[in-house]
Amino acid sequence: MVQTAAWVTSLVFMSLILIVFAVVAWKSREKSDYEPIKTKWNKARKVYATTLVTILLVACIYTLRELPYDLPIYGESQDPTLVDVEAVQFGWIMSETEFKVGEPIEFDVTSTDVTHGFGIYDEDMTIIAQTQAMPEYTNTVYITFTKPGTYKILCMEYCGLAHHYMVSEITVTE
Amino acid sequence: MSTAIGSKNVKSDNKLVTASLILGGVVIAAMMIFGILMLFAQGGVINVSDAAFYQFLTIHGTGMIGAAALAAAGVMWYFLGKYVELSKKVFIWFLALVLVGVVLVVIGVFSFEYASAWTFLYPLPAISANAWGVTGALLYLFGMLILGTGFLLLYIDTGRAIIKNYGSLGKGLGWDVLSGKKRVEDAPPKAVVASTMVTIVNVTALIAGAAVLIMNIINVINPSFTFDPMLAKNLTYAFGHIFANAIIYMAVIVVYELLPKYAKRPWAVTKLFLVAWTMSTVFTLLIYTHHMLMDFSMPKWMLIMGQALSYANGIPVLVVTAYGALMVVHKSGIKWDMASGLAFMSMLGWTIGAIPAIVDATIVVNHVMHNTKWVPGHFHMYMGLGAVVMLFSFMYYLAKIDSNVQETKLDKFAFWCYTIAMMAISIQFLVSGALSTPRRWAIHYPGWMTPAVFGAIAGVFLVIATTIFIIHFLRYVKNRGTLGSDLHEEKAA
Repeated sequence: MVQTAAWVTSLVFMSLILIVFAVVAWKSREKSDYEPIKTKWNKARKVYATTLVTILLVACIYTLRELPYDLPIYGESQDPTLVDVEAVQFGWIMSETEFKVGEPIEFDVTSTDVTHGFGIYDEDMTIIAQTQAMPEYTNTVYITFTKPGTYKILCMEYCGLAHHYMVSEITVTE
Repeated sequence: MSTAIGSKNVKSDNKLVTASLILGGVVIAAMMIFGILMLFAQGGVINVSDAAFYQFLTIHGTGMIGAAALAAAGVMWYFLGKYVELSKKVFIWFLALVLVGVVLVVIGVFSFEYASAWTFLYPLPAISANAWGVTGALLYLFGMLILGTGFLLLYIDTGRAIIKNYGSLGKGLGWDVLSGKKRVEDAPPKAVVASTMVTIVNVTALIAGAAVLIMNIINVINPSFTFDPMLAKNLTYAFGHIFANAIIYMAVIVVYELLPKYAKRPWAVTKLFLVAWTMSTVFTLLIYTHHMLMDFSMPKWMLIMGQALSYANGIPVLVVTAYGALMVVHKSGIKWDMASGLAFMSMLGWTIGAIPAIVDATIVVNHVMHNTKWVPGHFHMYMGLGAVVMLFSFMYYLAKIDSNVQETKLDKFAFWCYTIAMMAISIQFLVSGALSTPRRWAIHYPGWMTPAVFGAIAGVFLVIATTIFIIHFLRYVKNRGTLGSDLHEEKAA
């Protein structure tokens, strides 16, 4: 799950930084000449900077391989189901709300008033995809559900006082 | 040109700076209370009406950024004023306009129930589903415009003063040193480099903000005047992202000035330092598009750039500023007190806050994290435990060098209380984000409530600690000009 990966990655690097700061704070009670410290740690900085840039570069390129904006490659007999989604204060108007597992779907999302956010939540209330619902623009979410169940659509962009009531449901069957 | 020129009237200048810090500090503490109320409401502990919740949300976001920016501008003005001749009149105008702006915003929100959140995403100010009217929207939007004008005046003056002293903004960033025309020993001081960067990015941000505010104002008055919502969103985030980010770049001057003094070690300007600040200038201007990663209609290259440059934006702080601070402190026998302790802690807050920020700027992660509580998680960390802590560090520093007010055990308690509470608040937001809890929701489903309650309780301790910090600073203001410490203010690092 992406959320878990994000959380674990953040926790690991944040803990590392915390440890480094704690060690430096602890060692600050000692007093040494600055010149040797500068020489040593300026040298170390080159290794650290190279490692950091490499990690960032690899992570950036790796995560850019597949983007949610890209049209998926469908099989020969697979035509995606096109669903018109219109956001209004404070509800969702959808041309279809019942789908099958394995059915490729394209949610074409727009809004008739203000900006909203189209967020799809699974039965565990974990968000699995989203896009912005904007007036004058249509954003497409490409999704193929792999599990049956009742999914919720939540508004993910503040749109007025009933923003949190802007919830709808879609059903996915075997 | 790195000679400290000082000010003709330090005492009078200090009064202006303390005014910005008191106003900023008190507003920050007040905004914390709205934060606590929102978290308790989301946790199901108290009942807050939907209208009141979103008013709290609007004032909390606007007030926090405005107040922190105000205080940080005071800090920048204080240190920059040691190297260039700044206009006191402009600073007074700045304070006055900010005050007028704040009053209009507060009246708009609480008397006219305006609640668009700080983002005022077009066309929400005009299309509120009858939640608020034209008057509320205009009070808020004009308030923001006046407040922004105050800041713009200040940055025009800092830009003028830097150009007058150093020749150009490029030279303020040390480009003549980087191009080899000048020796690195003659590079501008750190406070000047940082102030130049902030001047460049914030003038840009404020012009973008003014444009979108004016268009919204016209739309509210005459709804038949419409404009492109995507353009509006770009302008809004260009303004909001840059302006909020610049707070930390103004406040970090405290760290540059204090840590070398306390550690009795030099923190010299190097070519690497100048490169890092030029990188920060460019990246800060460009990476606002990471707020729009879920706007699939945006040009794809802009969104990829948003991710790539957000990653790159971590490099200057992780490799230069934080690393430099650690080197200065390491085995230095530094004298720890509230000012130096807070300065060091603020670097930790900034650095660890950068990690979940970079993670969230990853498009595939943003696809499931955007507008969840992960977002306030990372910015509460680098703003609450970074930028704002720098401001408190400066408050204690000023009290130390310009008065005989002593730090007590209560201040030390407040230091740890603040640190742990702010860490707890940030972590509960991140946990909520990982649990897919949407941000800016007045109610929470049962599975989302526990972290919110935890955060609210931590918030109570945060307010206690902040109050202790502010009381110490007010005691200084009362005893200003009495005995100072050996860290005399005119000895710039």
